[in-house]
Amino acid sequence: MATTPDSAPSLKRKLAGRPADRLLLALALAGIGLCWHLVHARLAGGEPEVAIYHGQTLLARYPLHARRPIHFEAMGDLGPADIEIDPQGVRFTDSPCHGKNCIRAGHRHRIGDVIACVPNRILVAINGAHRAFDAVAE
Amino acid sequence: MTAPAIPPRPPLAELQRKAEWMALLTLAVGLHALEAALPGLGPWFKPGLANVMTLLALYLMGPRAAFALVVARVALGAALIGTLFTPTFVMSLAGALAAGAVMLAAARLIPGIGPAGVSLLGALAHMLAQFVTVEALFIQQPAIYYLLPPLLLLAAVTGWINGALADYLLDALRARRHAPA
Repeated sequence: MATTPDSAPSLKRKLAGRPADRLLLALALAGIGLCWHLVHARLAGGEPEVAIYHGQTLLARYPLHARRPIHFEAMGDLGPADIEIDPQGVRFTDSPCHGKNCIRAGHRHRIGDVIACVPNRILVAINGAHRAFDAVAE
Repeated sequence: MTAPAIPPRPPLAELQRKAEWMALLTLAVGLHALEAALPGLGPWFKPGLANVMTLLALYLMGPRAAFALVVARVALGAALIGTLFTPTFVMSLAGALAAGAVMLAAARLIPGIGPAGVSLLGALAHMLAQFVTVEALFIQQPAIYYLLPPLLLLAAVTGWINGALADYLLDALRARRHAPA
């Protein structure tokens, strides 16, 4: 059956989805909104601090707003990674991982921001004064 | 001396089906490699264009062909871009298997669902599985979930668009199949 202009597939029409699809989209967006709200509601306010982890181990904690740059060498599975905390925030300046996505992530400065270097198993998280997620083996 | 027996030739329809599956796999691996080369997206988020090929396999060839395509695409794609057996590969495999399983189940069990809905659920499952895998095997800190909500939102948007694209391609492919030669 050849397509006529009326029956020709239209991407615009497909983007509208079917009624069941739209219902699922609405449910998914509501769930994501709730998840977002719960995460941020449980992030305590107050003075932000930088927590640096290797796997389950807390390596260091610093106040976020350092007047002078602080460099911390975090030893990961692949080798040492350099993490800098300066007035702009926190960032990876060096990492032995292959992709360097952690370095490309740049500065982070808000409570709830996270930089993860998965291959090296290093996590940098900015927490509030009282962390909501407290299941950390220290 | 008798000539060795020639095995019977497979039916043409079966050969055509295998050729179509291989064509989808080739496209999926190519898109997987292309997405890995895109700058600035990080290990967490990819547009998931390769998943369009999984959806085409699911609707044109059935669940077994789609699941085989997912596994083959992740393994070949990782071998091609040099991430085989790295954490990126483990994340990718976990996400792809979860997405594949959820999409097959959704297509079979949810009445009235179309490719957009199937793809949406697959994209969300992919992202969730990646986070659970990373938290369980690599980072082991619940703080990693701070990243989850915005990435789930991106996954929902791209999953929906990919599903619509797959639906469009399905219509176009079916129209071509039924067009007079």
